[in-house]
Amino acid sequence: MAKGESPLKQFEIKPLMDLELFGYDISFTNSSLWMTITTVFIIIFFTVPFLKSRKTNSVEDLYPSRMQVAAEMGFSFINNLIVDTAGKEGRKYFPLVFSLFMFILFGNLFGMIPYSFTFTSHIIVTFGLALGVFLFVTILGFVKHGLKFFSFFVIPGLPIYMLPLLIPIEVISYLSRPISLAVRLFANMLAGHTLLKVFAGFVSALGFFGILPLVFIVALTGLEILIAFLQAYVFAILTCLYINDALHLH
Amino acid sequence: MPQLEQIEFFISQLFWLGVFFVILFVVLTYITLPKIRAFLNKRDEFVQSHISKQDELIKKAEELIENYELKLNEAKNQASQIIAEAKESALKESEKLIKATEDKIQQEIKNTEERISKEKNLAIAELNDQLKDSASTFLSKITSFDKGNIKI
Repeated sequence: MAKGESPLKQFEIKPLMDLELFGYDISFTNSSLWMTITTVFIIIFFTVPFLKSRKTNSVEDLYPSRMQVAAEMGFSFINNLIVDTAGKEGRKYFPLVFSLFMFILFGNLFGMIPYSFTFTSHIIVTFGLALGVFLFVTILGFVKHGLKFFSFFVIPGLPIYMLPLLIPIEVISYLSRPISLAVRLFANMLAGHTLLKVFAGFVSALGFFGILPLVFIVALTGLEILIAFLQAYVFAILTCLYINDALHLH
Repeated sequence: MPQLEQIEFFISQLFWLGVFFVILFVVLTYITLPKIRAFLNKRDEFVQSHISKQDELIKKAEELIENYELKLNEAKNQASQIIAEAKESALKESEKLIKATEDKIQQEIKNTEERISKEKNLAIAELNDQLKDSASTFLSKITSFDKGNIKI
């Protein structure tokens, strides 16, 4: 990083190809490029190991290869997550949670590669995802329960005179779900990457003693990889919980 | 902060996010996840079938062991019975043999005694005869001396 460059410059969006649709600017940017890479990687990672045509019916077919074991781990991880939080009915929404988790996870992880771009560090992207989840869950609730879905805002067993106070609070907390979901992921990515860049600036500034921030960066990179996983996990488990709320109300 | 400054790219970002997330979701839902699920199901079925097969085999083995023990006990009983019978018959046989031998010996003794007593009688009678003879000759010798047969 050149001296004097802002640690926030890494988040800058650079259009790679100018495109326009119905008068809107939909340029293919570096953000879009890394979304492409993430999507293609996930599809290849999870599909290719299972593409081998297995015609013989022998036992050897059932031994998973290394890649299959890796893909299977992700599969059963999300499977357990959704069954534990949303129950057996939640399994219908397994593909959604799986896609969300993998998209965010690999978006975060690819963002850890130097000179790459972290699209999950953009509030508009995380807000898009969170709003999608919010809309999906709300529609699911209305489809499953009709107007009874509004009873979700009424806490059972509460004295009636408390309701005027608590129903607005419940509604606000419900409406703030997508915001908290979006901001959590965005802020974590932003803070981590900014911190890494700031300390990277110290390395060259301190000369010989730059080794200290260098060691710190190495440790911080490990922590960032953990956070990359953790935030994807949090996003996925909250989605599961919201689906559970929509399915079972209280 | 570029995140909030570059508002002109908001629509582009949302557009491409939608495009790629939908592509990812559709491909995963209709191609990838069914493939993984089928693979896992196949393996689960295989394991389940082997577990049930194993249970069956264990049951069979237990049955065989039971059968074997039953047969073993039967055979043991039979064997002890046969041994007892053999002992009994052997005892009878030997007793018979001993008795027969004793009878024979008794018979022999009797016979021998009879023979001995017969011979004894015979010998006594002979002896008596001889005695009688010698007595008569002796007597005749004595009596002939009187008649003058003796010449001195």
